Amino acid sequence: MTRRLGLVLPILLIIGWEVAAIIVNNPFFLPKLETVIPVLLSPFSDILGTGSLFDNALVSIERVVLGFALAAAVAIPLGVGMGRFGVLNDFFDTTIELLRPVPPLAWVPLALAWFKIGIVSIVFVIFIGAVFPILLNTVDGVRGVKNTWVEVSTTLGASERQILTKVILPGAAPTIWTGLRVGFGIAWMCVVAAEILPGPTSGLGYLIMYSYNLGQINVIIAGIIVIGLIGLIVDQGFRAVEKRWFGWRGLER
Amino acid sequence: MKTLKLTAIAILALALVLVLFTAGCTQSAGPSGSTTASTASGSSGTSANGSVGILETAGVGPMPSLLATGQVDGYIAWQPVVEAGVESDIGQVAVYSKDLPPAGEWSHHPQNVFVVRKDFYAQNPDFVNDFSALNLAATQYINAHPQETATIDADWLAGGQNFTYGNVSVSSVTVVNNSIPTIEFSNDPSDSWKASTSNFVQSLVTLGTVKGFVANSTDQDAVLYNFQPYTSAQAILASKNVTTPAPVQNTVGVGYLMAVDHSALFVAVKDWQYFNDTYGIALKPEDLTAAKPSVADFIVNGQKVATVNLVPANAGPNLMQLAATNSIQMSYVGVPPAISAIDQGTPITIAYPIDNLGTGLVVANGAPAQDWQSFVAWAKERSDAGKPLVIAAPGKGSIQDVMIRAALQDSGITVTSVKV
Repeated sequence: MTRRLGLVLPILLIIGWEVAAIIVNNPFFLPKLETVIPVLLSPFSDILGTGSLFDNALVSIERVVLGFALAAAVAIPLGVGMGRFGVLNDFFDTTIELLRPVPPLAWVPLALAWFKIGIVSIVFVIFIGAVFPILLNTVDGVRGVKNTWVEVSTTLGASERQILTKVILPGAAPTIWTGLRVGFGIAWMCVVAAEILPGPTSGLGYLIMYSYNLGQINVIIAGIIVIGLIGLIVDQGFRAVEKRWFGWRGLER
Repeated sequence: MKTLKLTAIAILALALVLVLFTAGCTQSAGPSGSTTASTASGSSGTSANGSVGILETAGVGPMPSLLATGQVDGYIAWQPVVEAGVESDIGQVAVYSKDLPPAGEWSHHPQNVFVVRKDFYAQNPDFVNDFSALNLAATQYINAHPQETATIDADWLAGGQNFTYGNVSVSSVTVVNNSIPTIEFSNDPSDSWKASTSNFVQSLVTLGTVKGFVANSTDQDAVLYNFQPYTSAQAILASKNVTTPAPVQNTVGVGYLMAVDHSALFVAVKDWQYFNDTYGIALKPEDLTAAKPSVADFIVNGQKVATVNLVPANAGPNLMQLAATNSIQMSYVGVPPAISAIDQGTPITIAYPIDNLGTGLVVANGAPAQDWQSFVAWAKERSDAGKPLVIAAPGKGSIQDVMIRAALQDSGITVTSVKV
């Protein structure tokens, strides 16, 4: 029932959009569905010489996954260290809080200068977007592991390594997973920012910016819808895993 | 029961949003054109000849939409955006750049040039000379085969598909076809071309965007130009004897814009077979099916010499930034961004022109402006009525921005910048 309720608003929005488009009757403000749907219904045909929706989505997903994986690889170990050892936390905390509010887009000029045109600068911008939510959630998760669990394992003679792998990591896993979920969402948001860098000739962000430069509003809307849909699907995946593996957290509360 | 209630609330909320939204849209769309312009430039001074506000937009893409929604009264842009506005029934051309005042100053004004990093030319002279020969040959091709060029450009810019503006879909081939005659494709760095480029330097100094090397130099020619690649390229084409350069180890980056002005690159890549057979120089795309290839092999006398990355950007200044960081080594680019970059110390040199002209001032359909005189009269009339015209130009210091400001000032009209 709840699932079906979630569909009500999107359907109403679509109807409302079409009604509004008819009333407004100015396709520059709000193009009618009829101009966008053909673009969405032929995901395998070429758009403005930039490739198909499907190809571009695939390229974007590949870049996001790379940037996201790199962010996770850096943020999780660092976060575990910062959560476990106060010294590390004190050392890194100020710098992280200094860099965290900087929008990924602001790094674009430097990314280009440092990493040159190509996949590395794109991945860097996505990395910047994803790394902080994962890091902060990991720190939070590690700190949130019950002291009694750690104390009990110490009393039972567990080594630091055993505490880390058997107690801290499993205990922090649900919060880390939430960090990954948020991080992926932001990484996916960064795809447009990353793909307006000069150089790429593919990707959903590129498609949107390219259409913008040619004033093609229907393609822009189609691109936005695809970005939204992919984000939704990935998030559902994250939630499913959360429910399956980390359901115990609800019981613990 | 509870779900039903929730659904009812959702519907009500949505209806409210819808009403507000449509009300907002119809209101702002209503009194076509003029009202928004007056609010945008309210701070303008009132001179005897009136004033016009210039709105700097990021690039030319949004211009037809801005005009169609009445947020500006006109726009000055490069091709194909001028013809796209006309073809899609959004506007009409008031004046092409060659007819802008001061009289005669812009009759063959420079538009785009080919720039080369100095260190790259020093290390790879043969490569740059051969590449330049290909550019010169491509210019000849464009002038001899405008129809084929239009098809190639439309394929590169839009996959040969239609442009959609509002309810109107127009063929990209038609738009490009109409654009080509408004551009003068030439690589000749003649004296008059240099004189006209000096006008740009002067305008840029006046605008305050150029105040470094170029502005302070006593020998501007030496700072700006090195026509050696042009002279060598001419010799290569005349003798039909191409030297095979030593292979270039690193990938070479070549920057360009999605503009009809840069057709030389598009035809060289798309019709590489022709150039290969005719001149022994080719830029063969690695993906032969791509509408806009991103990697090409530079082939001389049947031998691959280098891998070339074709790097598009949204505007000239972005390309110059890439040249400054050595991300690209050569670029097709507008004259003002090239001058500004050199002024700021970017180690590049202008090797030869790519094209002249190709800029147009588009106003809304039915506006009382068919040429510069009637445009000026309209501007005065609107200024007197307290609703000065607002014209969109792509970025401060762009060719279009410099030309419209100079032209308005020459006609005694005060130019204001619209603050948003």
